[in-house]
Amino acid sequence: MIIAINILMLGVVLAPVIVVMWMSFTPTATFVLPVTAFSLRWYREALSYPGFVDAFWLSFELATLAAAITVALSFLAAYGLVRYRPVGSGALKAFFTAPLLVSAVVFGIAMLQFVNRVGLYNQLSGLVLAHVVLVVPFAIRSLEVTLRGVPEEIEWAAMILGRSRLGMMLRITLPLCTRGLITAFLFCFLLSFSEVTTTIFMTGPGLQTLPVRIYSYMSDRIDPTVAAVSALVVLLSLALVAVLNLLGGLRRLTTE
Amino acid sequence: MPDRRAEIPWLFVAPLVLVMVVGFVWPLAQVLVNSLHPNTPQGIDTAHWTLGNYQRLADPFYGEILLRTLRISVAVTAISGVLAYPVALFVSRRSARAQSLLLLAYVSPWLINTVVKALGWTLLLRANGMVNTLLRTLDVIAAPMKLMLNETGVVIALVPGHFMFVLLPLWVALSALDPALSWAAGTLGARPSAVFWRVVLPITLPAFVAGLVINFIMNMTVFAIPMLLGGARNMVASMLAYQVNLVSLDWPLGGALAAALLALTLGLVWMGQRSAALFVPGRGVRP
Repeated sequence: MIIAINILMLGVVLAPVIVVMWMSFTPTATFVLPVTAFSLRWYREALSYPGFVDAFWLSFELATLAAAITVALSFLAAYGLVRYRPVGSGALKAFFTAPLLVSAVVFGIAMLQFVNRVGLYNQLSGLVLAHVVLVVPFAIRSLEVTLRGVPEEIEWAAMILGRSRLGMMLRITLPLCTRGLITAFLFCFLLSFSEVTTTIFMTGPGLQTLPVRIYSYMSDRIDPTVAAVSALVVLLSLALVAVLNLLGGLRRLTTE
Repeated sequence: MPDRRAEIPWLFVAPLVLVMVVGFVWPLAQVLVNSLHPNTPQGIDTAHWTLGNYQRLADPFYGEILLRTLRISVAVTAISGVLAYPVALFVSRRSARAQSLLLLAYVSPWLINTVVKALGWTLLLRANGMVNTLLRTLDVIAAPMKLMLNETGVVIALVPGHFMFVLLPLWVALSALDPALSWAAGTLGARPSAVFWRVVLPITLPAFVAGLVINFIMNMTVFAIPMLLGGARNMVASMLAYQVNLVSLDWPLGGALAAALLALTLGLVWMGQRSAALFVPGRGVRP
């Protein structure tokens, strides 16, 4: 009974992704069941459709910027929190993870009204700001764990030997945190690249990320081209997850 | 050892605090302020203050939408709650390697783009989709069932999508459970079912309740899945928020809606923490 429930549940969890991958290889213009022949024609179609290609590059740029800014600022903040434990560090940590308590819809509404107010509507910078706020909780948590893993004694040793704190951070702490920094960057990239809800609320037709473009395409029609794009998105996510897994980051993310 | 007080930790924290104030506190404050102004055809009337936008939310039309949102959310949380213990117990009894693979599978909906999942469910559930085709080929049903563009479709897609929020805390609690407890209960003559109901369940109940609360909140505020699988005629709270803010462009009302949703979520989090604490064995409720 328990085994049956688990098999059923695993099937239901994995089914939509498997179906999308499978259907993206369909040779005909509509989905005909059962699929007996396989074709890559819809991948060629998807990769030559400017709507998807432009949206991909926008998403790529957005996710890279958001992840880089988040990791840089969160590393500094985590360093301050872990090494100095300033008064109110508990409150600060709660503040940095507060976006987790605000649903994407509420944050999207707030951002929509905010970017219009300050003149950032349909601007990449407004999107970057929103995505930074959305991924900061994850970056702060994982970089805190990373920094706790670097013994403070090593830093003291470098400073006793004459390094300034900045020089020590650049030459000692940063290199020791490389793995944690890469993990945090890739994870933030993945989250930003997948973000749909807040982005839909914030942007008009002029500035569509890839998930938003897929969403608006799907609201209009469903054909093998959109399945091929979706399959490519899944492959990209899987590749990132595989790298994260190699770096040991997934365990940290699922157990905390 | 360097003197800590000689340096200023705030320099490390300040840049992120600044970004969070501008990108998080300000927008939320802005939306609250907007919700307290009347809306006019010329835009937001910032000269006047009103609670009228919140009173407009009491309209029966919005009540029906709230009811639908609650109905879907309760159904998803209830199904997830029934499935959680069988799945979590199964996962926690595997080898370490099998456990991480199974958990990765259950967490994967969180790592896979929502729109991709919505596309997959559409291909499965629509009138000429795979489920209907399969069941008709096997002669189980004569005519296609209506599995999407209704509340059923939303529930079907949300259960696996948000299941991990119940599973993960429960799995952590079960993994932390000392196996000697169950063994001890067994030697004292408790049957396996009694061990579960009298030992395992009470100890893991706080984690279970906490997971259910998170799951429920996610259901209440999800947007893309109800939009694509429920359709515009089965409007839920998040779709109403989209309608008001981006179609009617009534930002004061949209702001009030955002504030109400935020208050609801934070209230649920608070209540969840309170009730999870109540269930801690030795304090309050006992089985």
